[in-house]
Amino acid sequence: MQASIKRPALIKIICIMGFIWIVFSFPSVFSPAIKKMGDWYPALFGLIVAASFISYIGVWHMKRWGVHLFIIIFFLKETLLVLVNDVNYIGIALSFFFLFTMLRFYKRMDLNL
Amino acid sequence: MIILGLLGESISFAINSLVVNKLRTFLSLLGITIGIFAIIIVFTVVDSLEQNLRKSVQSLGDDVVFIQKWPWTFGPNYPWWKYMNRPVPEYPELNQILSKCDGAQSAAFMISTRITVKYKSSSIENVTINCASHQYDQVKNFEIAEGRYFTEIESSSGRPVAVIGDVLAKALFPNQNPIGEMVKLNGAKVTVIGVFKKEGESILGGSVDTEVLVPVNYAKSLIDIRDEDLDPQILVRAKPGISNDDLIDELTGLMRSIRKLHPLTEDNFALNQTSLISTQFDSLFGVVGIVGWVIGGFSILVGGFGIANIMFVSVKERTNIIGIQKSLGAKNYFILSQFLFEAVFLSLLGGMVGLLIVYLLTLVAGDSIGMEITLSRSNVILGFTISILIGVVSGFVPAYGASQLDPVEAIRSN
Repeated sequence: MQASIKRPALIKIICIMGFIWIVFSFPSVFSPAIKKMGDWYPALFGLIVAASFISYIGVWHMKRWGVHLFIIIFFLKETLLVLVNDVNYIGIALSFFFLFTMLRFYKRMDLNL
Repeated sequence: MIILGLLGESISFAINSLVVNKLRTFLSLLGITIGIFAIIIVFTVVDSLEQNLRKSVQSLGDDVVFIQKWPWTFGPNYPWWKYMNRPVPEYPELNQILSKCDGAQSAAFMISTRITVKYKSSSIENVTINCASHQYDQVKNFEIAEGRYFTEIESSSGRPVAVIGDVLAKALFPNQNPIGEMVKLNGAKVTVIGVFKKEGESILGGSVDTEVLVPVNYAKSLIDIRDEDLDPQILVRAKPGISNDDLIDELTGLMRSIRKLHPLTEDNFALNQTSLISTQFDSLFGVVGIVGWVIGGFSILVGGFGIANIMFVSVKERTNIIGIQKSLGAKNYFILSQFLFEAVFLSLLGGMVGLLIVYLLTLVAGDSIGMEITLSRSNVILGFTISILIGVVSGFVPAYGASQLDPVEAIRSN
C-alpha cells in the first residue's frame, strides 16, 4: 500500500456514520415502497447508494475525489427527494455537517486516485 | 480514446479472469443468483396476482355498489349475529331505487345458484346460473361474442331464454352453433340466444365463461327468488362523475326510507363495493412483498459477502501481476476498473441467471396454473440494479486496495 495521510477522528466518525447509513439504505433500494414510485426509481436510488459508498471509501482514504463525489451525490439525492416530495430536513442538515467537515480537511487530502 | 482503450483492456482482463476460474466463478455467482431469484420471484408473483385481482375487480365493476344482506368485511371481530336477522334485498326494492336514486346510472336485481345444464346426451353439473333483471347488462361488464342479450319483452315477460358462457358453449356444442338451440336447466327447456365473450379465469372466481344468464322473471317459475341461499342482491352503477362514496350516501338514505327504518335503528342492509376486496388483498400482498424483500435481502447480502471474499482472494492471488502491470505503467484507475469490472460482471452474471430462472418459471407456471404470470419490466430493471449494486459495493474495496498497491512490494509478494 502507498503511504496514506493520517485520518482525523472527525473524518473517521462521519465515515462510520456514512457506512451505517449505507447499510440501512441498501435494503430500501429493493423495498416495495421504492418500487411503487416507478420502474427506474430503484435503479436511481441504487446508483445513489453505490456512489455514496464509494465516496465514503474515498473520504476514509483522505482522497479529494471522495469529497467531489459526495457533493455530486448530495445534490442528486436531494433533487430526487424533492421530486418524490420526501424532503428530510434532518438528513439535509446532517449531509451539510458531513460536507463542512470534509471541506475543513479538504486541503490535507490527496489529489490522486 | 486512450481511457476507453484502457477500460476495454481492463474489461477483457476481468472476463479472462472469470473464464480461467470457472468453478470459482460459478460458486461465487450462485449466491447472487439465489438472492435475485428469491426477490424477483416474490415480486413477480405478487405483481401478477395484483394485476389479475385488479382485472377481476374491474370486471365486477369498480363503480358498482352491491346492496346485500352481508357486508364484505372479514376478520376475527365480524359481528355475524347482527347481520343474520337482516332481510335480503327484494326485487320490488329495485324499482324504487331506479325511480328515486339520482346518482345511479342504472341498477339490476340478481340472484344466483347452481344447476345442471343438459343438451341431448351432454350434461354439466354445478353450473352457476345468474338470474337478473333486464338492466343487468348496464351494471355488469361483459361482452356478447355470438347472438344477443335479452330484449325488454323477453326480460319482463320471463321468456325461457339464456345467454351462456364460452366454456359451456364449447363443452355442450363442440361442433355446432349454440344460438337457437334448446338446453335443459334442471329439466326446464331454455333457448340459447347468446354466448358471452371469453373472459378467462378470474382470481375471485365467477368468470362468465362457465355461467348461464337467464331473466329473473323466468327464474321465478323455477325457483323461489326470495330464498336467502340464492344471495339476492341489487347492483347499482354510479352515474359518470358521481363517486362511489356519494352513491353510497344516497343509497343509505334511500334504502332506510324504503325499509322504513327508525332514525336510531341501525342499517339492516350492506352496501358493498369492490374496493373493499382490493383493500384487503392489498394488505395481504404488502405482507408477502415484505417477507420476500427480507428473505431475498438476506440472500443478496450473503451473495455480496461471497463476491467480496472472492475478490479479496483474487487480488491476493494476482498481487505480483498487479505489481508488474503497475511497473509497466498501468495507472491506478486501470487496476481499479479491472477488479471492479470483474466483481460487477460476476454479480451481473449471477443476476442474469436468477432472472432467467424466474422467466422460465413464469412460462411453466403460467401454463400449468392457468393464471397469467409475467416478469415485468420493472422487476427486470430491479434485478439488474441489485446485481450491479452488489457488484460495485462488494468489489470496490478489494479493487481499490489493489489499485493502491506499491509496485515494488507487489512484485515481491508470493
